[in-house]
Formats: sequence, C-alpha cells, structure tokens
Amino acid sequence: MAKHHGDGHHDGHNAFDVSSKVSEFEILELAVRELAIEKGIFSAEDHRRFAEWAEGVGPHGGSKLVAKAWSDPAFKQRLLENGTEACKEVGIDWLQPTGVGTPSDYTFFYVLENTPQVHNVIVCTLCSCYPRPVLGMSPDWYRTPSYRRRMVRRPREVLAEFGLHLPADVEVRVHDSNQKSRFMVMPMRPEGTEGWSEEQLARIVTRDTMIGVALPRADRTSDAGSLAEQAR
Amino acid sequence: MARPKFQVGDTVRIKDRTTLFHTRTQKFIRKRVGTIVEHRPEWVIPEDEAWDRMETGRKEPFYVIRFKQTELWPDYTGLAHDTLETEASESWLEAVKG
Amino acid sequence: MSEQARPYPVLMETLDDIGERTDTTLRCIDHEPEVWESRMQTTCECLSKAGILDNLERRHAEDRLGESIYKRFPVQTRSVLTVAHTLMDRGLFTEQALRDKMSSVRARLEEK
Repeated sequence: MAKHHGDGHHDGHNAFDVSSKVSEFEILELAVRELAIEKGIFSAEDHRRFAEWAEGVGPHGGSKLVAKAWSDPAFKQRLLENGTEACKEVGIDWLQPTGVGTPSDYTFFYVLENTPQVHNVIVCTLCSCYPRPVLGMSPDWYRTPSYRRRMVRRPREVLAEFGLHLPADVEVRVHDSNQKSRFMVMPMRPEGTEGWSEEQLARIVTRDTMIGVALPRADRTSDAGSLAEQAR
Repeated sequence: MARPKFQVGDTVRIKDRTTLFHTRTQKFIRKRVGTIVEHRPEWVIPEDEAWDRMETGRKEPFYVIRFKQTELWPDYTGLAHDTLETEASESWLEAVKG
Repeated sequence: MSEQARPYPVLMETLDDIGERTDTTLRCIDHEPEVWESRMQTTCECLSKAGILDNLERRHAEDRLGESIYKRFPVQTRSVLTVAHTLMDRGLFTEQALRDKMSSVRARLEEK
C-alpha cells in the first residue's frame, strides 16, 4: 500500500472507490495532483500524510468536546480557558499533522460559549479559516462569498435562511477569524436532555450548531435532517 | 516581549493604512471604533508573514476588538446590541480618548 | 503573472459531467464531500505549504474565477478549477499536459 504512494502515479485510495462510473472531477483532481507531484512541488508522501489526517478529523471531535463540557463543569472551565490544551483530553492535537499544525489551522483555539444573552456565530471573511481539527472540512456554503460577505453584514438574515430566528433580547455576536485564532461555538444544552450520557449528547451537537447557524435540539441528530425538514 | 500598549476595556480606532502589501485587517473595520475585549499572544504580523519571514518577521501583540454592528454598517438591519469581534495587531490600532 | 480571463476549454469540458450549478440559497449548498473533494483540499494545503499557491491567495482567486468565468459550476468544484487554472496561467503545466494526464488517469481508473 505505502509503496503505491511513493511513485506518484498510483493513488491507493482510489482503489476503494467501487462506484461504477469515474467522475471527471475525480480524474481532474488526480491529474492536477500528479502533475504537481511530477513537477516536484510536493511529494506523494506529503499528500498521503495530510490526507490521512484530514480523514480522521470531523465534527465528531467538536461534538465530543461540547458533550463533555455539558456533563463536566470542570472540563468546561478548562475548555474555555485553554481550548488547545483541553482538546488533548479528548485526543485532539492541534499540532498535527506537521508538528506545527497545518498552514491554515494554526494552533490557537478558542471556544465561544453561548448564553441566554449572547449567540455566537463564526465566519472568515478573508478566506475560509475553519477549526478543522475539531470540525473537519468546512461545508461548501461556509466558503462561499455569499456567506462570508453577508454573515458580517446581515447576520440575522443569514441565520434566518438557516431557519434560526433569535429573540430580540439576544445579542448576535459574529466572530470573524481573520488572524491566527480558530473558533468554535459551544451551544447551550437543550431541554429534554436531562440524564443523557455524553455519547447521547454528542449526537445532537451537529456541525451547524458549532458554527452557530443552528441550535441543538433533543430530537435532531443531523444537519442534513433539518435540510430535509425544510424541503418538506 | 513588548508590553501590550492597550488594556481590556480600552476604546480604539482601526487605522486606515494603505495596503499595497498583504494584510489581514479587513477593510470594513478600518476607521471604525471598537473596544478591546481580550489580549492575544504576540505573533508575527501578517504583513511580514507574507514574505515568508516567520522566523525574522516583526512580532506584535494582538487584540480581540469588539464592534457594535451599527458602528460598522450605518445601514445595519439587525438589532442595536448586535456585535462583531475580530483580531488586529497593535500597530493597526490607535487610542480613542474616552 | 496575470490571470487568464477566459476559461480553459479542458476545464469547461468537465461541466457536463457534474451539471450546472442549481443552488439558490446557502442552505442548498450542503452535501457530504466526495472523496475527490477532500483530496483536493489536501492538495491545496500541500501547494500552500510549498509556497506555490498560498491558501488566502487561492481563496481570492476562487472567489474571482468561481463568480465569473466558472460561475456555472457547482461551488464544490471551485478549488480544483481554480488550482488548475492558476497553475496553467503560471506555466507550471500546459493545457495539453493536463489533457494528456487526464486521459491517462481516466484510462487507469476505468480499467480497475
């Protein structure tokens, strides 16, 4: 397996794709990557190492952090005081995969706690900085100029598009991650979750609730679910 | 290590500097007045980072600045207490007499 | 190092395969990323780290190109289109080289 990556001509991962038709974009992506490797811009091993890391990260990391914080006040305190350190307790190391983080993730992580008075939401107007070690790859819409431009300018309108209408007495606080810090929202624990285990809680802490465009609900375990609901 | 010039609670204005060079200070906060709400560590400023000077680039204290949305956008359609937070390096900030 | 304002035919030809962009709101732009999309993000990181195409610079090019000459494409294709476009602009490889490489990749993948 590892040998396949060394020559830059063979991508072992594609061997696992069993879909009958190969998409043109799969082909384009691989072609661009192989040309870059042939030109010596980076090595197949650089790519493999990073891809392995990217596959391991996802919103499950953030969900775990929030569920643990909801269940353990001392952990919550540590998480709010030093996000990067507290992440290590659930096995998330911001220094991965290079030892100094990735070029676009850096290593300064702050958790924003929602309260009955303040609702936090994250955006990166300059590019699309995103807390990947805890949330994985950003959703497509997060990277669009439409979200980036409008979230800082008309946050309530954009939130409404996501089905989130906040009461007038709540302050909407937008965090534009323009420098080295990365942020994640810690939503409030919803009603109807009394006595739940951390595993149960983690299931309702979806990606969108940690970006701040949705609120967790005891009966909702996926962002896609709410999308389907909306379409109905 | 330079001591941060500003303290939490200080009112500051973002300078309107020319940006022929790479910067990460957004246009929409320039000339706007906000409040320092947090300190950040000293980092190499983005203006130098862009030249691949991570080792030798100038370091400055960074701050989190909170703005009222109505200060940023005169035509803001949300509520008066809505805010936006973002970070800037010290040389982008000037004190505003409170 | 100016940016070509016309789309590269080799890139435009992929539109049929994925279909035109149809989303009307942000909420529609949400899908489970396919394998090639996350591989592409990884390629972007490698290019940025190598100093060839910085992430911020790429994002701005994605905004420009994705909202103009490649605006008919779904947003998840912006990174790969922009990277290919920019690397061709910069002469890292030619359009013909990309075309040839795609043919050989296609042949290899379809064989499996």
